Amino acid sequence: MTSRKVPKDLASFLLYAFGFLLLWEWLRPLEQLTDTSNIIIFILFIIVSLFLSYIGAPLFISSFIKCAFIVFAIHFLYFEGSFFQTEWVSMFIKDLLENIGAVVERDWSNLSNTFRSLLFFVLLWLMAYLIQYWLIARRQIFIFFFMTLIYITVLDTFSPYEAGAAIIRTVISGFAIMGMLTFYRLLDKEFVQKKPTLSRKWMLPLTIMIVISVSFGLAAPKAEPIWPDPVPFFKSYGKGSGGEGGGVRSIGYDEDDSRLGGPFIGNDQLVFTAEVESRHYWKVETKDIYTGKGWDTSGSREYRSQFDGEDEVPIFSFFEHAGVEKEEEKSILNTNIHDRYIVYPLGIKRIDAPLHPNSSYSLENYTEKIHSFLGDRPSSFYNYSVVFDAPKFSVTALMKASEAPAFDSDFLDRYTQLPDGLPQRVRELASEITAGKNTWYEKVKALEAYLTGSNFTYDQKEVAIPGPEDDYVDQFLFDTQIGYCDNFSTSMIVMARSLGIPTRWVKGYTEGDYKGLGQNNRKIFEVTNNNAHSWVEVYFPEIGWVPFEPTKSFSNNVHFNYDYSTQSNSQTQVEQPKSEVKDKPELLEEKAEKASTSFSFKKLISSLKVFWEKIWMWLIGAIIVLAILVLVIYRIRGKWLPYYLALRYKWSKKDDNFQRAYLLLLRELKRYGLPRKEGQTLRDYAEYVDRFFSTTDMTRITARYEKIIYRGELNEGSWKETKKLWENLIKKTIA
Amino acid sequence: MIQDHMHPMIEKVISNIEKVMIGKRNVAELSIIALLAEGHVLLEDVPGVGKTMMVRALAKSVGANFRRIQFTPDLLPSDVTGVSIYNPKEMEFQFRPGPIMGNIILADEINRTSPKTQSALLEGMEESSVTIDGVTHHLEKPFFVMATQNPIEYEGTYPLPEAQLDRFLLKMKMGYPDMKEEIEVLDRAQKVRPIDDLEPVIDLMELRDLQAQIKEVHVDETIKRYIVDLANRTRTHDSVYLGVSPRGSIALMKAAQVYAFMYGRDYVLPDDIQYLTGPVFVHRIILKSEAKFEGISAEDVVNRVIARTPVPVQRYVK
Repeated sequence: MTSRKVPKDLASFLLYAFGFLLLWEWLRPLEQLTDTSNIIIFILFIIVSLFLSYIGAPLFISSFIKCAFIVFAIHFLYFEGSFFQTEWVSMFIKDLLENIGAVVERDWSNLSNTFRSLLFFVLLWLMAYLIQYWLIARRQIFIFFFMTLIYITVLDTFSPYEAGAAIIRTVISGFAIMGMLTFYRLLDKEFVQKKPTLSRKWMLPLTIMIVISVSFGLAAPKAEPIWPDPVPFFKSYGKGSGGEGGGVRSIGYDEDDSRLGGPFIGNDQLVFTAEVESRHYWKVETKDIYTGKGWDTSGSREYRSQFDGEDEVPIFSFFEHAGVEKEEEKSILNTNIHDRYIVYPLGIKRIDAPLHPNSSYSLENYTEKIHSFLGDRPSSFYNYSVVFDAPKFSVTALMKASEAPAFDSDFLDRYTQLPDGLPQRVRELASEITAGKNTWYEKVKALEAYLTGSNFTYDQKEVAIPGPEDDYVDQFLFDTQIGYCDNFSTSMIVMARSLGIPTRWVKGYTEGDYKGLGQNNRKIFEVTNNNAHSWVEVYFPEIGWVPFEPTKSFSNNVHFNYDYSTQSNSQTQVEQPKSEVKDKPELLEEKAEKASTSFSFKKLISSLKVFWEKIWMWLIGAIIVLAILVLVIYRIRGKWLPYYLALRYKWSKKDDNFQRAYLLLLRELKRYGLPRKEGQTLRDYAEYVDRFFSTTDMTRITARYEKIIYRGELNEGSWKETKKLWENLIKKTIA
Repeated sequence: MIQDHMHPMIEKVISNIEKVMIGKRNVAELSIIALLAEGHVLLEDVPGVGKTMMVRALAKSVGANFRRIQFTPDLLPSDVTGVSIYNPKEMEFQFRPGPIMGNIILADEINRTSPKTQSALLEGMEESSVTIDGVTHHLEKPFFVMATQNPIEYEGTYPLPEAQLDRFLLKMKMGYPDMKEEIEVLDRAQKVRPIDDLEPVIDLMELRDLQAQIKEVHVDETIKRYIVDLANRTRTHDSVYLGVSPRGSIALMKAAQVYAFMYGRDYVLPDDIQYLTGPVFVHRIILKSEAKFEGISAEDVVNRVIARTPVPVQRYVK
């Protein structure tokens, strides 16, 4: 197989050189990733091996040189003293024997470095041989090239090795080598005499192509990976929760929010079922420090307050105030969480755990996270109920509330904290959105409306991770505009805080999936990890913490009492109070516009316009792609049309087909490049075609055809008899 | 060209002629075509290339009665048609038939005589009868005239008017034999005149029979349209002053029928038409004088017309 003589010309030298470069790529990462040193010796060995193969050294000479190289290298690496002293040889042989024993016993860890190096040399010897075999005997290198690419990409992904340059080098040498080998394969296959002009004609476009594609590849803008580094993901997957900052976040509850961003992985593991009187969100904890990348708490989690089951939960939610109507409700939970904390609704007053006697709780004062204990031991409760006040906030009271912001400065500092590096444009955007709004409530509602507006897209997968220089909120608001609850809630808080409104970040779960009615018309919900959520609470003086929901397509069932409407409950998403309209001059314009566009016909046109604007790029793209496809199919019709035609007429027995088939044959021959001149008779043409194909088929078929058209005589079965001739000819037209 | 087998009888005639005419198979073929199509031939060539020999050989081969008229400027029509002479013994005029009363007639140097005499011959050719002194004499069939003329540039010629040219089915040229052929001609001429030994291979009955059969050769509507198309294109051609008449189209069809029959086919192919368009059309076309100045010949025009006229490759369906 390797009997083919290696021609000692520039071309095969280049082949060997590129082969060497590919193999070198395998060795490059070793120094960085393993404790291999003196890698240059191994590289030298490869060079020597390939060079010996290139000059076509006889087997025994090349083997001798390679063995000598190995022995010398091992001596150089591991043994002291002169090479020509026999002392080290006995040591080496002893070492060798020991190691062979270890191999037999499969005691891999006890192999000595000397032996490993020896094995590595043998491996490289094999590889050098393989390279030579692929290049010269097989003229195929794709598998090796492909494996090299896989090797480099895997290392780049899973190890600290940076393969940016390696991938370019590999692509260049890989494509060069494959292009050259294709040329030689063709030469071999077609028995073409190798001529310098011929190889120039091939190599020049090859070089140009590689140069152009590589420079394009280098110059083209490259998107940041949307899919993050998979290593943390795999690690976190193993651990079962998203732990490593900035990685893929597995949905569910998790304490560390210091690095937000990246896609969310869905998980419908059941967390708890709840039996409630009215739907509401479930809180776990709140956070107050925005770091620019995520959330943190300002104080220690260990600063806690203890309380028992009979005690009122020491969480402040809202004041006793005419602006806040309260209604006591009770929700019962069956949990699956083993996390030893309590999930609770806004306005919690008491926790009952009748099945867990001796229960006690400790509240993290900074985060309002409630830990559950049995006696002194932290314990998770599988069944408990929470009693809470479901609030109904008066909008009038809320509007008034901001008019007298009298806080102690510590409180204000804590809940209006922002990182120093917050880009100015976030503040500017916040002022812009709230321009013309006077009260906090209006401002907050404007921010909420802005975030739930059409600028933003809710998505759990294509979510960016802020780079080292990026601000999480800034990136979402101005660059990506795609995100999930964390993006929306954090953005709203940062903007509200930039306006001096105290806000905090709340983590927990949404109400879950409605499952039906339980006893006493209580509603049953199932809450899974998919329902993990984050939202916003804004502090209004003399009212307390009021939740807001800036995340698109979510709605928090907080009740606001618009005083002008008679006690009707409306949700946060419902339209703004009337008083706001007056503050918005532009709304009048909108109204006017509305009047003029009241025709549904116009609406239709405008919606069509929007639809068109959305799809025209796609549409044109699709049309172009389709046109190209059709063109390509048309251009290569020589490859398929004759087959199709042959099939079409093959099974037909009708003699009428003879005429059509013959005319088709004429057309196909013309397309093939044998056109009939206008004034050329069929006989003449048939002779010409037959001369071209060295057959007599065309003449024979033409003689029959002449009879049909010039004699008007269609013999029974004439098509059947000529079908074979026709098929032969039509197949010849397959270019 | 795919050669079908030639009709055996015609083959016999041609090979018989070839015994005396060397290297002139195509001329022999065309002559027979004209004979079988009941038409006449105009041979335009210089003297001494074997025109007479050709005609005599043909006449002898078919066992026909051969006459020759040498046209001179002083020849009178009665010298051609014959004349009634008063016989004093019988006390009445007696008709003495002229040389036209034969089967195969060589009208040599037809353009040397006056138009009056020319028309006497041409009337006979067209009508197959001559009228002398108010008596119509029908000519025996087959009646085949082979007229020769010197190229018209020669002095002392009366060019044939186009109406009369039209009456010839074909016009052809003999041309000089090539060197090898001419040497063979010399060889043969050294001893005896081979024409004297020529025996008829078919008789007139058989010839008439063949003529009848030829009328049965199928000319498809498709082919007829092709013929008319060709004729039409000569009429509308830029260089042509007068194109081919419908008589020319008929001539082409008839000649093609013979040609097809000669090659054992009972239907006409476009190939037949193309082969014969030249001989049938060329003498019927009168070029514009500009075209003549440009050096375009009637042959060029016909060849161009053939090349440009699409050959029918589909059956014409009404």
